[in-house]
Amino acid sequence: MWLQLRTVGRVAVLATILGAAGSARAQETSPSALDVRASSAIAGYADTDHVYVLSPTVGGSVADPAGGWRLDGRYLVDVVSAASVDIVSTASRRWEEVRHVGSVGGLYKPGTFGIGASADVSIEPDYQSYTFGGSVQQDLFTKNVTLLLGYEHAHDIAGRSSTPFSVFSRTIDHDAVKGGLTLVLDRSTIFSAVADVQFENGDTSKPYRYVPMFAPGIAVPRGASVDVVDQLRTSARVLEQLPTSRNRYSLAGHVAHRFDHATLRLSERLYTDSWGLHASSTDARLIMDFGDRVEAGPHLRFHAQSPVVFWERAYTMQPAFDFPALRTGDRELGPLLNLTAGGMLRVAVGSAQHPRSLVLGFDLNVTETRYLDDLFITHRLSAVGAFSADVEF
Amino acid sequence: MSSHTLSLVLAASLAASVAGCVSVAPWERGRLAHPTMTTSDPTGPAEAHARAIQEGATGGGFEAGGGCGCN
Repeated sequence: MWLQLRTVGRVAVLATILGAAGSARAQETSPSALDVRASSAIAGYADTDHVYVLSPTVGGSVADPAGGWRLDGRYLVDVVSAASVDIVSTASRRWEEVRHVGSVGGLYKPGTFGIGASADVSIEPDYQSYTFGGSVQQDLFTKNVTLLLGYEHAHDIAGRSSTPFSVFSRTIDHDAVKGGLTLVLDRSTIFSAVADVQFENGDTSKPYRYVPMFAPGIAVPRGASVDVVDQLRTSARVLEQLPTSRNRYSLAGHVAHRFDHATLRLSERLYTDSWGLHASSTDARLIMDFGDRVEAGPHLRFHAQSPVVFWERAYTMQPAFDFPALRTGDRELGPLLNLTAGGMLRVAVGSAQHPRSLVLGFDLNVTETRYLDDLFITHRLSAVGAFSADVEF
Repeated sequence: MSSHTLSLVLAASLAASVAGCVSVAPWERGRLAHPTMTTSDPTGPAEAHARAIQEGATGGGFEAGGGCGCN
């Protein structure tokens, strides 16, 4: 595992160094009509539930601003190591997995009308996902208003680790429609609104996730430990079962305002779905200039959600193995609060003529999650950090 | 939320937004052209992935260009 982590990490570091070297060469040549960029990042995630993820990423883009087109691509690897309480509670060993994600996209917008397309592939041992999408956009009123309409389809294949997909697999299809607009409110302010409607069809129940069952009348306290749950639960091992379709709706507003030496970005998203989950996500970023080469600022995010209608902290099994038709142990379907605080730093280290030809970045966000009605844990502290290098050739 | 209610909310948002809009000429968009004023999500892939797992909600991103004074 650690050999794997070191190898993947070396690839990202090497890509960063090569990108920096390429930037140095680019500074010695005349600027091209094409805008060619490359980026590399290495990110890490850790939380108090013993989940660790290392994610190297490389990407690049080619754009012709005069011609109105852009192509971009990205490759990402997630190396996951987990021994969370959900795994421990089923007497399973630490779980490790590698996920590969590739994505390409493009936009052609020679005038006021633009058309875009994208495709993503995500591969892991027990899950594959293939997504493609397209969008059109139209500028109106000398670019004071931009309208967008997009569609995306995803086809997922869920399986079990170490079991061929031909032996066990489930398919899940997602169709998403997005509509939105951007408005220029004044010389310093942009507002955008976007509405998403997404239809999921297929069984998304996790084939590894067992939901503890309890006899009627048993009181199970919030955050009950694995030992307490083991003492109170019945011996039945019942797999998670979710509804096989889900309609999801969201409406979001974004405002960006440019001050003399700072940008303030505010977002609010309201969400609801056919499983009864309602959520609000509020996000604020302040990006301040410190001279021509340094940008830095704080980030705050607050997310609150209600549980799905079939959520129960302790599911009750009636005699004769009569258990609830819908049941889940996925605590991200339960009631929770997330508070994220973090920040970013960008330092342009390119030449005097092209300071932004090489930009180094660092991001760190720490999230405290409060689980309001769950077994095993009542809160989790997690951190996501990333080092990045963006090169303009 | 029913599709009818959603349509009403969208129509009301659009009407209110357009009503509050002013016309800013291309030569007045120096601030709007700043790289931090894009409408795209500034979230990096790792943070976005963590968020997708930690939050039961999805959607709300916006990738349309325009408005900012860039192409």
